[in-house]
Amino acid sequence: MTEKNFNAVREQLKLAKERRGPAPAGLVEEVKEQARTQKAVLEALDKGPLTVPELAAAAGLSPRKALWWVTALRKYGRVAEGPKRGAYLSYAKNAEKP
Amino acid sequence: MANATLSYDVLVVGAGIAGLQASLDLADQGRKVLLVEKQPSIGGRMINLSKVFPTLDCASCITTPRMASVAHHPNIDTRTFAELKGLRREDGRFRATLRQKARFVDGARCIGCRSCEEACPVLVPDEYEHGLGARKAIRIPFTNAIPQLALLDMDHCTLCGLCARACPTDCIDFLQKDADTEVEAGAVILATGHELTRMDAKPHYGGARLPNVLSPMQAERLLAPHGAYGRVLRPSDGRIPDSIAYVQCAGSRDRSLGVPYCSRVCCMFAAKQAMLLSGSLPTADITIYYMDIRAFGKGYEQFVANARAMGIHFVKAKVARVTEDADHNPVVRLERQEDRGLPEEVTHDLVVLSLGMLPGADPVLEDFAGVRAAPDGFLESPQAPLAPARTSQPGVFAAGTATGPKDIVDSITEAGSAAMEAVGFLRRLGEGRP
Repeated sequence: MTEKNFNAVREQLKLAKERRGPAPAGLVEEVKEQARTQKAVLEALDKGPLTVPELAAAAGLSPRKALWWVTALRKYGRVAEGPKRGAYLSYAKNAEKP
Repeated sequence: MANATLSYDVLVVGAGIAGLQASLDLADQGRKVLLVEKQPSIGGRMINLSKVFPTLDCASCITTPRMASVAHHPNIDTRTFAELKGLRREDGRFRATLRQKARFVDGARCIGCRSCEEACPVLVPDEYEHGLGARKAIRIPFTNAIPQLALLDMDHCTLCGLCARACPTDCIDFLQKDADTEVEAGAVILATGHELTRMDAKPHYGGARLPNVLSPMQAERLLAPHGAYGRVLRPSDGRIPDSIAYVQCAGSRDRSLGVPYCSRVCCMFAAKQAMLLSGSLPTADITIYYMDIRAFGKGYEQFVANARAMGIHFVKAKVARVTEDADHNPVVRLERQEDRGLPEEVTHDLVVLSLGMLPGADPVLEDFAGVRAAPDGFLESPQAPLAPARTSQPGVFAAGTATGPKDIVDSITEAGSAAMEAVGFLRRLGEGRP
């Protein structure tokens, strides 16, 4: 992006914030919480592949939330499916993109 | 110079399989068509399915080429993320007001590269996966969406600007607004589809409350090759299920819900999903609790017989309620309608509720187009026995589930009928005798 367009984006964002008002506090907090949870999930997977219940215990999430997170991170290439363990699949962290 | 109102032979409302087929049938006969879809992609519900009955063809594989044919047809203009806001007759032609909803993306410059989606830090439950998966606040709606244009969900946008900084074509427009335009057409085809009854319509079945009680569309996404999990897993803990049950008529044939009619597709999609589950999970027990099996189409009875032969359990029973145990296993309380008929409780890993079909047409259509709805809420077909595509308004035709529950085969057949009716109407209009 050129400097000219960068300035145009800043100007647009300023106008959009004036038009809409500040982002709802709940949304900002939710996005911050998402960043913290994503970090916790990826750090838990640093130690090796985990099943959903194992990941839930390691990252302090409910199993349902842990599945949602591996589903989201798998979609965006951060996590890959690993070997099956019993009635569960395991999930492993993908190498960081350069 | 003032902008001239765009003029078409036929306005088709709804780009599900019926609207796509009607548009292609008209365009192939040289008619100019405007196809309007309220969702950000064409394809309707069919593109969201795993496979179709009774052939078990991949839904995406047979729908995507049809979507592409529409998108590239020289006689079809397509507007997605646009709604019909008004329709009136003037001098024998229809004049429609369309509202183009803001995507916050310049469609002429977006190249569908997904750089914005990669950069966006906000995750939101994905509507396309019926909540099972996640999407970003800005995203391409799904992999084979047409058009491949990004869409920003302003309700979940923090205006951080990361998407705009990542965009190589500077196409993000945070100030874009909805815009109304007027078009005119000689005839209209309403292919406005259907909705499903709410998951919590029968609260005692646990829908929307128990994590392992799913809707049929969620089950489709479990089975779709590119579905949320890429596998059949239970949402509560990611376990591969061993025992799956279908509760039939969980939203149809039920006067308490105001849905006394049969939704006509549930028996077949339950049998289809059961067969697909049996293929994915060969050791799983799959049970269908039903009142009657209504397999009325060509090859359907044989399809159900095949499902029985594969080991799917068809149990004639009325389900009273669904609860869950401490491990979130759904517990189905039912009364068998064969044998001794005593109440019993059966524990499963997953339960799918076969929801009913509801009208999808905007009720205000009746106000501005004079198109009447029948008592069941679907569009009225006053000449149903001989001309089922005609509505109560001359020049307005209907196709697909707009007029009542029907399957894909019947929707496509009716779309062809609606297209031919529209051509006949246009010919009479040209001759001054509409």
